[in-house]
Amino acid sequence: MRLYPFRLVEPESLTEAVDAFGRLDGEARLVAGGTALVPMIRLGLVKPDRLVSLHRVPALHEIRVDNKTLVLGATATHADIDRAHVVRDGWPLLAEAVRRVATPAIRTSGTIGGNLAYAEAASDPAPALLCHDAEVRVVGPGGARTVPIARFFRGFYEAALEPGEIVTAVRVPPPPAGARGGYIKFTSRSAEDKPLIGVAALIVLDLSGRCTDARVALGGAAPTPIRAEGAERILRGEAVSDAAMRAAAEAAAQDADPLSDLMGSANYRREMIRVWVRRLLAKLRDDKS
Amino acid sequence: MNLTFTLNGRPCATETPDHWTVLDLLRDGLGLMGTKYGCGEGVCGTCTVLADDRPIRACLVLAAHVRGRALVSVEGLEADGRLDPLQIAFAERGAAQCGFCTPGIMLAAKALLLENPAPTAHEVREALSGNLCRCTGYTKIVEAVLAAAPSPR
Repeated sequence: MRLYPFRLVEPESLTEAVDAFGRLDGEARLVAGGTALVPMIRLGLVKPDRLVSLHRVPALHEIRVDNKTLVLGATATHADIDRAHVVRDGWPLLAEAVRRVATPAIRTSGTIGGNLAYAEAASDPAPALLCHDAEVRVVGPGGARTVPIARFFRGFYEAALEPGEIVTAVRVPPPPAGARGGYIKFTSRSAEDKPLIGVAALIVLDLSGRCTDARVALGGAAPTPIRAEGAERILRGEAVSDAAMRAAAEAAAQDADPLSDLMGSANYRREMIRVWVRRLLAKLRDDKS
Repeated sequence: MNLTFTLNGRPCATETPDHWTVLDLLRDGLGLMGTKYGCGEGVCGTCTVLADDRPIRACLVLAAHVRGRALVSVEGLEADGRLDPLQIAFAERGAAQCGFCTPGIMLAAKALLLENPAPTAHEVREALSGNLCRCTGYTKIVEAVLAAAPSPR
């Protein structure tokens, strides 16, 4: 079965890409890996007249460290990010999260910029990036700007992108010194599925075991990926006791605003948030490394 | 559009409509029927081929996106008339039932073995997590991949 026909434009610089995407003749869509857009075209959900491909814009593929901040070009793939030593060494939470995206072949093609622009509530990388207070760089007809990731997800499958704007990079500050990080993903159907609930956390414990910094973020728990701020407030300044973990997990369940869908009901999601936030916190607390 | 890339070790120059995927190009443009059309949405894995030694979904990747890259389909697994160790292992162990998923599974496995010559059974299962066998004959498939590993454990 063929895709609904479109014209493909392949700009070779960001300036050309902004120009090609911003032109007002018919409906245009950006394509990077195509793992989200191509199925949407095949299912007839979108019928763009032209696709503007970002694969020939070299600056968008980069993965580098700039003054301690990790810079991921928008078309860096999940597989490239996972295999990059700088990421594994300095941003292990992010490496762990991108490694859990779908399947090997999807990770070869799917890109970090595409993942964020798609604004999937159950994104695997988004909770990790929320814990890192990442920033999203975008460029469009009105120039370039930076959006804190906490404000990048505007609603259900809706990113804070104006017409003609392109995600160019994600800037990821390093984790706090001594932080323990982890991502766990609970799938209710099959292992390679998007998460029913995904939980990412970065916590810092002092020598007495008291939590001095806590960042907890959830995927699949609301119309967008979110930080579980109630859970963070409970953890900060406290010893991570079993009771504190239970209270934090309960607070995370209250922070959530889950939807019901074929994967599970809103009530089930809330219950799974209680379970998986507690499990992740226990794993991080008990991690001896 | 004009497109040049490497296909199964040989240079390939061809024409393709803008909206064709790699799967359209392989099957309908180039007459290579080994790569199968399953779900068309990147879920089932039967259209898996290699691009620069990494697995891709031929049904999701636009043909233009393999320009200049090295593509390997199931037809390219054998070399100089000799079957790939994966093909031999699959045949010897009967690791195919209806066979519709087999080309995609062998290429997903090939990508794993190129990167990891001594995988564990768990690593094999993870590498094949995106490939469905609806006959559900996974046990022999995993055994065959382990048997074909260049440096088995």
